[in-house]
Amino acid sequence: MKSILSVFKKEVVDNIRDRQTMFYALLFGPLLLPIMVAGSLVAGFKQMSIDFDEITELPVINVEEAPNLVSFLRQNNIDAVAAPDNFRDRLRDGDINVALEISSDYGAKLETGQPAPLILYANDADKESSKAARKIASLLNVHERTLDSLRMQARGLDPTVFDSIALEQVDVSTEGAGAQILSSMLPFLLIMSMVMGGFYLAIDTTAGERERHSLEPLLSLPINRSSVVLGKYLATLAFVTLSGSLTAIALILLFHYFPSEALSSVIRMDAKTIGKAFLLALPLTILITSLLIAVSAFTRSTKEAQTYLGILMVIPMAPFFLLQFMTIKSANLIMAMPMMSQYKLLEKVAKGESPETLHILLSVSGTLIFAVLLLMLAFWLYRQDRILA
Amino acid sequence: MIVVDSLSKAFKRKGRRVRGESRHVQAIEKVSFTAADGKITGLLGSNGAGKSTTLRILATLMKADSGNASIDGYDIGADALQARQSIGFMPHNAGIYPRLTARENVRYYANICGVPPQQAEKRIAQLVEMLDMAGFIDRRAEGFSQGQKTKVGLARALVHSPQTLILDEPTNGLDVMATRGLREIIRQVADDGHCVLFSSHIMQEVEALCDQISIISNGRIAISGSHDSILKNTKQTNLEDAFVAAVNPQSISTHTSEVPQ
Repeated sequence: MKSILSVFKKEVVDNIRDRQTMFYALLFGPLLLPIMVAGSLVAGFKQMSIDFDEITELPVINVEEAPNLVSFLRQNNIDAVAAPDNFRDRLRDGDINVALEISSDYGAKLETGQPAPLILYANDADKESSKAARKIASLLNVHERTLDSLRMQARGLDPTVFDSIALEQVDVSTEGAGAQILSSMLPFLLIMSMVMGGFYLAIDTTAGERERHSLEPLLSLPINRSSVVLGKYLATLAFVTLSGSLTAIALILLFHYFPSEALSSVIRMDAKTIGKAFLLALPLTILITSLLIAVSAFTRSTKEAQTYLGILMVIPMAPFFLLQFMTIKSANLIMAMPMMSQYKLLEKVAKGESPETLHILLSVSGTLIFAVLLLMLAFWLYRQDRILA
Repeated sequence: MIVVDSLSKAFKRKGRRVRGESRHVQAIEKVSFTAADGKITGLLGSNGAGKSTTLRILATLMKADSGNASIDGYDIGADALQARQSIGFMPHNAGIYPRLTARENVRYYANICGVPPQQAEKRIAQLVEMLDMAGFIDRRAEGFSQGQKTKVGLARALVHSPQTLILDEPTNGLDVMATRGLREIIRQVADDGHCVLFSSHIMQEVEALCDQISIISNGRIAISGSHDSILKNTKQTNLEDAFVAAVNPQSISTHTSEVPQ
């Protein structure tokens, strides 16, 4: 026990002095990853969704021709302003997102009951511009329907004659469409930062030790090989857990100081939710550590270890991508699968639902069983002659 | 005291096999010798002769396929932990941790060997003086010269005051002065009553240092004994000729028969 502690302490001190390990444990997972992933997802989500409450300016050509239209737009939080002469160029340059041209005969055609021409200018190469155009077009559609029904009533027709289909769309999911990707972001970030936190330490303490030729004298000391493995295991576990908890804290702070309204309408990102998610993901620290230790015990050099573990990075990422285009039900078998079960559990938590107790138990026990099996594999690998070669 | 009794070890052959080649390479076969306390015993052999494999088995890093060996009375198979407590082992690259200071490197081994902290510090101070490490004991090992690394490795092997010291090609990569210094240290350790076993492929070194020599070739011990007895038994006048004679008896006999007496 004492010697396990000696190995643990030495590996921690040794690796605190390693810039690469510290960068990945303290900065990459907890800081860079959330900013990169969460930032781009939130930004992308914002770009996709249209905010009808936001007051925006709309450059309009011949704004004086259609006072009714202008007042309708104003009711819908859009201020019509006179468009500059070079509005096409400015659209192309991205200075303005959209422009509306009211033709000079707009008023006259409207009065005589003919279609009144409007031209909407947008730059489809620009996401912001096409989004603004969609917003104006949908508002204009609403306005058109009002005018249509007025015209029909003036001719003594029932406006509903033209409504052949009354389509009503009901979304029964507790969240919107973007919620899937946003809710699996939480497990993705936590799991990835756990893996990255222990990645270099596991390689350094096993494959690196062999490459430095320091493993031979270490194993010739009066200490069981399993104690050596356990010491290294605990050191890696400490870094995996540290990286994971720092990420949870970073996410809590991130969403506390930069609350995203677009986001909070679909998923919850408060301290309680993230804390719950972290606890549910916690058994993974043991599994991830076992995996890292076993793989780096198997490989012969740090380079080989990096290659193998790089390929294995697919494991924590696979559920993220699978869940994007596949609907995987929370069947009992799935919930006993490590990684996948945590994704499902954390998604539920992120959506504000509470996972079933049975699913939590299955997830924890499935993860622990795999962790123990991989640790046994590491013990076994350390007993082989090839660990020295 | 090391007693080695017909150790054998075979490895799986790596890479593609030539037809008819066996799956295994016999690394050492029926290796037997003894290394006494207070004496320096040299294991002399060319590269790939089986020196490192023998030392690794003695350091309980690997298990032999057959045969047995004991270190200070502890069987390396059955009482591996006690045997390890009794040996200090330094492999041919000192294998020290670059991000730790020399002192931390040595202290780590003292901790694992269960040396009480106070006693460990005392012992480290002793070793610093004996190995002349005062100049770099508190510096990080990154960038140490090979000589400094070897000293740290040696201090680490000696920190738990083992009765037996096993060194695998300790002078590899050392310059002349460092080699001389190391020889003196090894001599001193033996004179203090310890058993020192070291491997080398350098004749002069073995000749200059060893009380007992075992020549190993193709995994077998060709001849064992003191320097003089080896010369006498091979009827040669220097160790190099004796080595060739022991390793390949035919080459010498044809060679001598051509020379008219």
